[in-house]
Amino acid sequence: MLKVENINVYYGQIHTLRDISLEVKKGEVVALIGANGAGKTTTLRTISGLLRSKTGSITLMDENISHTDAHKLVSKGLAHVPEGRHVFLQMTVQENLEMGAYTVPSNVKAGIEDVFERFPRLKHRKNQIAGTLSGGEQQMLAMGRALMSKPKILMLDEPSMGLSPILVQQIFDIIKELNESGTTILLVEQNAEMALQIAHRAYVLESGHIKLSGTGQELANSDEIRKAYLGG
Amino acid sequence: MTFISNLISGISLGSVYAIIALGYTMVYGIAKMLNFAHGDVIMVGAYVAFCSMAYLNLPPIVAIVIAMIACTLLGIIIEGLAYRPLRKASSLAVLITAIGVSYFLQNAALLIWGSTPKTFSSVVGFDSISLLDGKLIITAESIVTVIACIIIMIGLTLFTKKTRIGKGMRAVSEDKDAAELMGINVNVTISITFAIGSALAAIAGVLLCSAYPILIPTTGSMPGIKAFTAAVFGGIGSIPGAMLGGILLGIIEIFSKSYISTELSDAIVFAVLILVLLIKPTGLLGKKITEKV
Ligand SMILES: Nc1ncnc2c1ncn2[C@@H]1O[C@H](COP(=O)(O)OP(=O)(O)OP(=O)(O)O)[C@@H](O)[C@H]1O
Ligand SMILES: [Mg+2]
Repeated sequence: MLKVENINVYYGQIHTLRDISLEVKKGEVVALIGANGAGKTTTLRTISGLLRSKTGSITLMDENISHTDAHKLVSKGLAHVPEGRHVFLQMTVQENLEMGAYTVPSNVKAGIEDVFERFPRLKHRKNQIAGTLSGGEQQMLAMGRALMSKPKILMLDEPSMGLSPILVQQIFDIIKELNESGTTILLVEQNAEMALQIAHRAYVLESGHIKLSGTGQELANSDEIRKAYLGG
Repeated sequence: MTFISNLISGISLGSVYAIIALGYTMVYGIAKMLNFAHGDVIMVGAYVAFCSMAYLNLPPIVAIVIAMIACTLLGIIIEGLAYRPLRKASSLAVLITAIGVSYFLQNAALLIWGSTPKTFSSVVGFDSISLLDGKLIITAESIVTVIACIIIMIGLTLFTKKTRIGKGMRAVSEDKDAAELMGINVNVTISITFAIGSALAAIAGVLLCSAYPILIPTTGSMPGIKAFTAAVFGGIGSIPGAMLGGILLGIIEIFSKSYISTELSDAIVFAVLILVLLIKPTGLLGKKITEKV
């Protein structure tokens, strides 16, 4: 479904991503974990076209998208929930969701109903300005907004950031549900333990290159990972 | 009666400022830049309307439409050629470029139309209204200007609140990356904003010159600066703010001219601006939403 081959990304002179290759197959949950500053967000932003890689290629469903504008990828089935949510703070919940369906205006009604079913908390806050939502509600809105475009593959950048344990569990349950209903998922997480639990496969990123990869199970049991990311 | 008649001229002048201020505020809201050349687009619009009427003998309404089309194209070209390459540059570089574009337009106008003032004939076809046995005269231009301003205000508000493109514009003005991730073409959206702002500038130019008929290549600069002030006064980025700021500014200007001093009126206008910004740095209707992390 998504294939990243040997991409190299620079911020000015700084070589941030070095020869990153990864693959997400149809129906999988793939986790990308790593310490702060490892390059996880940079990887996602490059895939979704907000950043450009100098070399290498990115393929989405057999189409080379290395040079495709970010806004064109939505209708090709890619959705990206960015780190820090980035909901439209001055718009209402409803308007945020409408923006999510910008490329498929016909899906506004059905899409919103579907999102409200998944996130009942949003339903009661339909007309609330997004800037006044709690952090958890904003995360739900960001995810709901991404779902409005009916993505085939959903990229999530630290969906659990700043949330209470109960809410983190809820978000992970929803990710699992989404996957079971057919959405392929690329998940970036600091919470390696939970991410590895739901991931079919995972990659570990360290200082801009892929250090390890394997099934979620393998990595969860690896000594190296336990020491570095799972607290022993 | 002079009070009421001053108030009406103030509202009418203020309506012109408001229409211009909308262009500043929309462009600022979306591209986060001050398009200092906006005032000169007004002047170009006025010249195009003038030529259409005086040389081609076209009816005023056709002249206005031609001026709007010309300014729309001009706005899109300015954005594409001068500002788009600087999308990631420092705001100082963009500001200096905008000033450069402003001088370019003024000098191009000087080259094309010369420095001799043109006498603009009003586009308004009916007579002034005389009330209370002629004690209160409301000019036809004032009436048309205020009505145009109200229609534009309502139209723009509906456009940004209800239409898909309008909502896309609000999304881009809040968060470009997020808008791009929604599938919104940010560059096209910015072009559309320049197009709308410039079309409004053409209307403002025609209305301004209908009320104050001397047209020279620098006709747009002072109203441009005042309208920019109005946009800041009302809260830059806010559409109702531009409207309120424009109208208040027009009233303050006319009142200072008639009750205090003609020479000092501009100074008073800017003094009020400074005062408002000291008390409320975001302008009258400007709001600031703190980001949750
Ligand atoms: N706009 C930028 N300009 C320059 N350097 C940047 C920029 N954005 C990120 N970096 C640098 O690139 C490296 C990778 O950053 P990135 O945000 O991808 O890390 P991350 O793995 O997502 O970290 P975190 O878990 O903290 O979100 C960091 O060293 C960061 O400082
Ligand atoms: Mg990150």
